[in-house]
Amino acid sequence: MDISKTRRQICSFVAIVLLACPVSAADGPALSARDTTFFEKKIRPILVAHCYSCHSAQAARVKKLRGGLRLDNRAGVRKGGDSGVVIVPGKPKESLLLQALNYDSLEMPPKGKLPAAVIADFRKWIARGALDPRRGQAATTSNVDIQAGRKHWAYQPLTLPPVPRSSKTLASSPIDAFLLKQLHTEQLRQVAVADRGLLVRRLYFDLLGLPPTADQIETFVDDDSPDAYVRLVDRLLSSPHFGERWARHWLDVVRFAESITLRGFLFPEAWRYRDYVIDTFNADHPFDRFVQEQVSGDLLPVTSLRQRQRNLIATTFLALGNNNLEDQDKDKLRMDVVDEQLETISRGFLAQTVGCARCHDHKFDPIPTRDYYALAGILRNTKSLNHANVSKWIELPLPTDPAQAAQIKKYDTTVATLTARIKTLKGARKSKALSPLPLTKLAGVVIDDRQARTTGSWMKSQHTKSYVGVGYQHDMGKQKGGKTARFQARLPRDGEYEVRFAYTPGGNRSPAVPITVISADGNKTMTINQKRIPPLDGRFVSLGRHRFLRNGSPEVVVSNAGTTGVVIIDAVQFLPVELIKPRRNTGKSTSSKPSKKQEQLRKLERQLKALQQTAPDRPRYMSVEEEKKIEDTRVHVRGDVHNLGTLAPRGFLKVITLSYRPQFSTRQSGRRELGEWLVHHENPLTARVLANRLWHWLFGAGLVRTTDNFGTTGELPSHPELLDYLAARLLEQNWSVKSLLREMVLSRTYQLSSRSDSLGLSHDPDNRLFWRMNRRRLDAESLLDAMLSVSGQLQTHLGGALIRPGTANDYNYRHDSNRRGLYWPVLRNSLPELFEVFDFANPSMVTGRRNNSSTTPQALFLMNNPWVLQQADHAAVRLLGFSQLDDRQRIQLAVQTTLGRSATPGELESMLVFVGSPNDDKETRHQKWAQVVQVLFASIDFRYLR
Amino acid sequence: MSQATLTRREALGAAGCGFGQLALTGLLNGSDGVASPAPSNPLAPRQPHLTPRAKRIIFLFMQGGPSHVDSFDYKPQLEKRDGETLPFDDARVIAKTGKRGSQQLLKKPLWNFRQYGESGRWVSDLFPETARHADKLCLLHSMHTEGVAHGPATLFLHCGSTNFVRPSMGAWINYGLGSENDNLPGFVSICPSPGNGGARNYGNAFLPPVYQGTTMGSAGGPAADAQIRNLVNSRLPRKQQQQQFELLRSLNAGQLPPNTRDTELEAVINSFELAWRMQNHAPDVLDLSRETAATLALYGINQDQTNDFGRQCLMARRLCEAGVRYIQVTYGDGSPNPAWDQHSNLPKHAEHARRVDKPIAGLLEDLQQRGLLEDTIVWWGAEFGRTPYAQDRGTGRDHNPNGFTVWLAGGGLKPGFAYGATDEFGHVAVEKKMHMHDLHATLLHLLGIDHERLTYRYSGRDFRLTDVHGEVAHELFA
Repeated sequence: MDISKTRRQICSFVAIVLLACPVSAADGPALSARDTTFFEKKIRPILVAHCYSCHSAQAARVKKLRGGLRLDNRAGVRKGGDSGVVIVPGKPKESLLLQALNYDSLEMPPKGKLPAAVIADFRKWIARGALDPRRGQAATTSNVDIQAGRKHWAYQPLTLPPVPRSSKTLASSPIDAFLLKQLHTEQLRQVAVADRGLLVRRLYFDLLGLPPTADQIETFVDDDSPDAYVRLVDRLLSSPHFGERWARHWLDVVRFAESITLRGFLFPEAWRYRDYVIDTFNADHPFDRFVQEQVSGDLLPVTSLRQRQRNLIATTFLALGNNNLEDQDKDKLRMDVVDEQLETISRGFLAQTVGCARCHDHKFDPIPTRDYYALAGILRNTKSLNHANVSKWIELPLPTDPAQAAQIKKYDTTVATLTARIKTLKGARKSKALSPLPLTKLAGVVIDDRQARTTGSWMKSQHTKSYVGVGYQHDMGKQKGGKTARFQARLPRDGEYEVRFAYTPGGNRSPAVPITVISADGNKTMTINQKRIPPLDGRFVSLGRHRFLRNGSPEVVVSNAGTTGVVIIDAVQFLPVELIKPRRNTGKSTSSKPSKKQEQLRKLERQLKALQQTAPDRPRYMSVEEEKKIEDTRVHVRGDVHNLGTLAPRGFLKVITLSYRPQFSTRQSGRRELGEWLVHHENPLTARVLANRLWHWLFGAGLVRTTDNFGTTGELPSHPELLDYLAARLLEQNWSVKSLLREMVLSRTYQLSSRSDSLGLSHDPDNRLFWRMNRRRLDAESLLDAMLSVSGQLQTHLGGALIRPGTANDYNYRHDSNRRGLYWPVLRNSLPELFEVFDFANPSMVTGRRNNSSTTPQALFLMNNPWVLQQADHAAVRLLGFSQLDDRQRIQLAVQTTLGRSATPGELESMLVFVGSPNDDKETRHQKWAQVVQVLFASIDFRYLR
Repeated sequence: MSQATLTRREALGAAGCGFGQLALTGLLNGSDGVASPAPSNPLAPRQPHLTPRAKRIIFLFMQGGPSHVDSFDYKPQLEKRDGETLPFDDARVIAKTGKRGSQQLLKKPLWNFRQYGESGRWVSDLFPETARHADKLCLLHSMHTEGVAHGPATLFLHCGSTNFVRPSMGAWINYGLGSENDNLPGFVSICPSPGNGGARNYGNAFLPPVYQGTTMGSAGGPAADAQIRNLVNSRLPRKQQQQQFELLRSLNAGQLPPNTRDTELEAVINSFELAWRMQNHAPDVLDLSRETAATLALYGINQDQTNDFGRQCLMARRLCEAGVRYIQVTYGDGSPNPAWDQHSNLPKHAEHARRVDKPIAGLLEDLQQRGLLEDTIVWWGAEFGRTPYAQDRGTGRDHNPNGFTVWLAGGGLKPGFAYGATDEFGHVAVEKKMHMHDLHATLLHLLGIDHERLTYRYSGRDFRLTDVHGEVAHELFA
């Protein structure tokens, strides 16, 4: 079966036809009566019964037309479908239709192969010229009208709109002026500004993702100076925690994760990218540079090593996809990776659903398939995986400074010297260079590789001299899974044998060759590492002792399935156990006193071990590489990698008008040009999309609420002029994210109360016009950080790897940390439970806005989860530790710390009743206070920013 | 879009409500949610598109791919021509090299086949207990699917896509039909595997999170420990927690804005109310000690080999009784080569069969005795089958996505029925081919859902479980 069938058929209801020149319905040659009868009797009924349901005008009407092919009229038959011409008149063998009926390349009809006689009729019909008496039109060609598409708001050039002049003084900033203008038109007004206590909590969570302490709230609330708010904003913007908070927003967009779903492989180096993003936001590194670094950091010129390191780490962006590394169709996998990258780039930076154009022209937006493949061509020139049975992403050593490099080199030399000396000492006894060993020198039954029954092609060799018999064979490192060797033995008698396998070792060998011993006890499969020198005389490795029956076809099977590197077969020895010579035991020498040599050996080994513990850090990073062959790609018909259409030279979205013509080198992928185009001032999307994202993250709803879709199926901007103003401000201020955020939080609108008012609620319940501030829920990380902060357990240092060393895969990973949430490993099969429950971004998809659900699992988590109970415990210990406070004050402190405000009289009373008497025993007191804290964690005012 | 499906606006609006309004209504009425739910509850039962033939599904997932030619697909020719070498279009070889017609060694079934029941369906000695229920089974012999490796094929089985992140079938059903029970989730996965797609196999992808599967335990772990997470408070006795819950109630009530309805915050409050009820009810639903010794024995519980899977199956029945729509029971593990994956050592199939056979038979019998089989579909199957030839001429069989068998039983299906066929050796589905998309479409149809109308708009287009494929096999319906 063709694996790419799905791909090919996906969205086949869209009738795009890639063949040129529509076939006219002009009359063909007149048909003889015989041909007509043949067609009507033998061909038409079959077409009607088995083909029309998917290949007819009727099928097209009900959106069931498959493969763009119509068989219900002559023109359609002649024209073919997305896979090209289906009939070559007179040439049945070249006709795809017949191949499909024969179930050769395609399988048609899919419900079952037609009888041979029917297929023979079709062969005959085609051979006679496929004469067809029917009339009718072929399916029409559709074209994307790019010119018309440019009228969509998002593709319009960016302009700096004039700031509306406000009549009143309410407008404290241009942002407010734009918003008030529209509110005025709708005869709405903004509510009052939030009280200072709420404002300081809002600002801390928005800019740092952390709650303010009781002191921090008090300091601000008590500060009467007119610039108190501005100073607070500037202080928070310069806090290192700012970068942590805003990096996490970006990590949602780039589907950041530290493992992959299938097989749970870990990305041990992904954290470097996370830290790079934190650093970028903290340093307010221009966002246009940031974009270019992520797409093409490896290709950018640099002036310092530090910059080079940053640029390289940035490209991890391209490597984070949750790809299906075990897809066996590697051509398809290669394009799936490209698709994933393109989806991330286009939705992340441009809010465009370019992925829709993989199989057909975009149904709604002016994005033809050719644009898709023009972009895909760039990424196809980029190698993201090294292909094997299970393909592997790319990790490279990070360039280091000369001092560090020298240190590494020195270390390597010392280790090499020590290792060599140890080896010499160890191998002194058997240091003879090995020469070929004749079979006759071996006991038991020996089967040389030449006697093995092999499948697939094996190359004979005598290159490495340690072989047994006349030589050995290797699989050339090719056709993995396609080669086996069976060593079948005729044993003299039943009994127990040690099975030994000979191979010639080497650096290019496979580290895990599967070998199966078939004995009287069944099959036992093991893998051996052929890089290692065989432990028995440098030639054999033992496959263990097994029981064999003389007539039980004893056998050893070697396969190259799933292997990397070269697989060697040399010989197999079946050695009766009674013939095994006792091995000289090197560890326990007969003399009680260790020899001088051994003492020296141990000393050296100790030295080596000590040295290895001081091994210098060898940083590596996840990335991509340029392909060796740089080329343009072809349109993949229906997205099928095995069905290539016309060439699509590298390029960008045509709907964006450019004053320059992008040039692509034949020596580089084109990612550099892509990066430049993404942030080019004539491309209005990137700046608009970013401005809108920043707005969304601060205000809880974007000016365009579909943050990842600015296409025609997305929503329209509520304030197009404000959006353009913000985007233009970005460009004006050298893409400074901090400056734009500063302007936003200093606006009066940001400082509004979230309280509703009946006028606003009745006219604009969704608050699209920003007559108030949106009330927002704390996201997963803020919730986690806030609880750790209240419990006093939060560790606030920055950066670094967090996955526990020694973790093999991400299954059932135990998350256990007091670091901020953003450092908790984002493992695709084992998200931290709190993340999973509280709407963390799906780490496999571009996520500009998270879900905002209230579910029972959330409630159960807050009520019963041991981690929550633990944090409440810690907090209770802290609270009870303030011995100078009475319970009333203690409750006020608890409420202040968790909710950022004083307790209401009602709250105070009910909690006082709940905690009971201060004279209760210590355990009861602790229990009660822990419960109070837990209740506060679960309360609305803790989970929401008002 | 039909009225029965959620519009996008409704769904997005609803996403904020969890189990939602039900709880509040219940609270106001002073009863446990017997009042009809407010329309904003995303899990409120919804009118299906069609007259449903069944109300719920229990999917018995045989992770790794049991060999159909050794179990339910009897191929006399395979027996007869054992040991012959013939060219086959091997799925893996084709995917890797594009080469067709690789030479393969035919390997006969290791277990004898017999005919059972009045229907005379063939079942091998691998499943003697299930075989006794042959007259209940509706066998689909012409299955085929996408994906040659476990990961992609397992994702395809659950989500209809080998690679892209898509909602799982249970989530779609939950979204399409809502829940029948106010105290329990609508989609439960018992002991799911962390491997081969892991959480994606019961995930909601882009559907609102309220539709994702609720898990109990993990594949390979003891079934006796399988629980809904955070359902029990390890510290506090019920009474003390009740007091704490009252405090939370009063605090939250006080934090609601006065004089206006605030649906979002009410949803938060409701989520606690439902959690509290679930905490008080669900443990009873999942408490197997309430079953009679005879029932426990029927499932093979407390017997060495069948204890785990028996418990899983019995929990499934209890959940099914309580009104859970979609229950998946996994027999598997977390490894990349899961339980049934006998690339070598095919005799190991016997060990797996021993662990599941009796519990499956027990489930079928129990469901029937309780009258539940009438509107419950039991679905037995895997991500693919296995080749009729030996892998690398060895002792096992490789994956086979081109032809395999699954069986259904119960709700609206023809009993003792066999549908479609593979070729003479059992390699490729040839007759009345049933693609995994077709099976999905058919199962949805049985529940009253038109698979072409169950759509969700995401990223600019409408998505379906069956993409643009899927045909309902009407012939299976009784």
